[in-house]
Amino acid sequence: MNKLKLNYTSISFLPILVCIPLGYQLITNLHFGGLNLFQEFLISALNPKIDNEIIINVINRLNETILIGFISWLVSIVFGVIFGILSSDIFYRIFNIPIFLSKLIKLFLTIIRSIHEVVWGVLLIQIYGINLSIGIIAICIPSIAVNSKVFAEQLETIDYKKFESINQIHGPKLSSLLILIWNPIINTFESFGLYRLECSIRSTVMLGIFGIGGIGTSIFLSFQTLNFRELWSYLWALTILIIISRVIYKKIKFTNLNKWLSFFIIAVSLTTILFTISYSFYFLFNNFVDLNYFFKSSTDLVFFDFLKLILDTINLSLLSTGIAISLPPLVIGIFNNSTSKILIRFFAFFLRLIPTPILLLILLTFNNPSLSLAALTLGLHNAGITSKLLFANLDNEDKRTYIAMKSLGISKKTSWLFGLFSQQAKSYLSYCAYRSDIIIRETAIIGLIGSVGLGWQLQESLSSFAWQEVTIVLIAYSSIAIVGELINGKIKKRLT
Amino acid sequence: MKKTLLELKNISYKYENNLILNNVNLKINSGEKIALLGKSGSGKTTLISLLNGTIKPTKGEVKLFNQSFEELDLKQKRKITTIWQDLRLIEDLSAEQNVNCGMLSEENFFFALKNLLNISSFKKAHKYMKLCRLHHSIYAKKIRTLSGGQKQRVAIARSLIQNSNILLADEPFNNLDPALISTIKNLILENVDKNKTTLIALHKLDLLCDFDKVIGIRDGKIFFNLKKTDLKKFHLDKLY
Repeated sequence: MNKLKLNYTSISFLPILVCIPLGYQLITNLHFGGLNLFQEFLISALNPKIDNEIIINVINRLNETILIGFISWLVSIVFGVIFGILSSDIFYRIFNIPIFLSKLIKLFLTIIRSIHEVVWGVLLIQIYGINLSIGIIAICIPSIAVNSKVFAEQLETIDYKKFESINQIHGPKLSSLLILIWNPIINTFESFGLYRLECSIRSTVMLGIFGIGGIGTSIFLSFQTLNFRELWSYLWALTILIIISRVIYKKIKFTNLNKWLSFFIIAVSLTTILFTISYSFYFLFNNFVDLNYFFKSSTDLVFFDFLKLILDTINLSLLSTGIAISLPPLVIGIFNNSTSKILIRFFAFFLRLIPTPILLLILLTFNNPSLSLAALTLGLHNAGITSKLLFANLDNEDKRTYIAMKSLGISKKTSWLFGLFSQQAKSYLSYCAYRSDIIIRETAIIGLIGSVGLGWQLQESLSSFAWQEVTIVLIAYSSIAIVGELINGKIKKRLT
Repeated sequence: MKKTLLELKNISYKYENNLILNNVNLKINSGEKIALLGKSGSGKTTLISLLNGTIKPTKGEVKLFNQSFEELDLKQKRKITTIWQDLRLIEDLSAEQNVNCGMLSEENFFFALKNLLNISSFKKAHKYMKLCRLHHSIYAKKIRTLSGGQKQRVAIARSLIQNSNILLADEPFNNLDPALISTIKNLILENVDKNKTTLIALHKLDLLCDFDKVIGIRDGKIFFNLKKTDLKKFHLDKLY
């Protein structure tokens, strides 16, 4: 018997094996009590509620969503650039500052980044109550850290020789720094920063589900009242908003940055910095939190129960990652014709669009709550995202080998697998490694809704104001995310 | 008597356990035009990097104006300009923006910002670009769109605009057309400032005529250090 040889292509498909235990548990947990509801949900997609009241409501909710999403995007980009510079080696080399400070900032940002914005949101709501600014702060905290990592990584790519050559002119240090970092920052902003606006909008929707406001709150309320037609009106409105934002950022090009646009960018950045700093002081002084309050609480966590929750969270991450990696190439490979591809793209779009808590609640209509169901939800949502990338890569791939293989009489599926997919399996896996960082963080949201893992414990501890427990859960979460990020970093390094 | 500007005292330089330069002693006097010869890998680039302070010697001392490099203030350090073998231009900036970067040492932060926003004056940059025989149609073009020879001349213009006392150049004529080499060589050695001290690493032996001194490096050691008039054919034969 031939041995299975591991290569990038086979590694892309192997994780689908997680579906065996997952499928078994899902089948045993199947119930048909909510099948009617599920049916109604699907039919309502084609028959959303459209009347004056709902249109006005949609517009108002979208306005709130755009406001929160846009402000948090702007603040997180501007401060992401600042922290990106402060955590990049080039800054320390130019100013002759000990490099360990950059490591300290990086560590601080890694810890902040390891906690999902929804967790930040839930935490801040519990401390300060519900308002729009809490939503903005909750999105900004991890987003600044995420953005700064990306900007810092780009700044690390600046050729050391260029640094030497500019540094050797011995101009003012700030001038040398500006000359070296300007273009990498503008290019990263164009390729990554604008896309983050879409992410901010999605985060706003997610936080809305937890009560922050905007269209997410309406989606959740519609779901709770089982008003699926209304729910779909909001989902379609959200679709239009995301498509418009994507069209806009694809149109914006900074290759020939004119002086007025540059002035505008600088003016907006400076205003954002000034406004954010003054608002932060205003917020902190007007919402003073007595820290003693946190230390008064006690903890009832039992070590072995807590350990089980940690293992559940790790399991949830692994199972979801398995689905997110293998499902897209498997489905695209099996249903490899143009009609199926359109349907898959459409389906993947909705998996991305529907916030994970809502997706989980929909799946709960015909399945009992379990770790497998939570993993399926998270896996499906992320498969929607990885499939988008896979489609984009396959569209751009050189198809000559695929065509040549087909012309030799090899089947379409085999030609696709060896002539097309295998050529970019490596880059696909590399993206999946990055995606699994996000999946680990997202387990918190699923946990909050689906009563699984540490997310469930966090919800319980927050509800009972057991701040010591909250701190322990957050440390555990953060540690899992950081270890995951380190492992994925090593995998990404090997793949690139 | 001519003043000593640059001095290397018992310099050795190791890189990853390879001895690149071995006990090098060298004095460069004010106003001298020096040609640095040697095979590829003989240590010419390392010597230039030591002279401009980019790298520190493993052993020995580099002195500029009779002071060690660490003791120099910014004003003194600005007196050295380098034309690098690999040019080291900023690819995403235009040719004129790159040349303006040469003026960073004498301008403030806002000049750098204005240069990036394309609103600074390019008058001086254009003057030097013209001297380097660069056509005005390429002034605003991004570096990555230029040919090797054009990039080379932009790098030379950027160094000349710095107007420093000491010019170090690492094979600056590599990418140039034969017709241009003589023009650019004269520009570097004579036209801009006759009192400038210049050290140029070369491969083309036919360019030696305008230099005062010729230094040969072989296997990381100074093989000869002669006045141009004392240089004989056998010196070169032994060097290569």
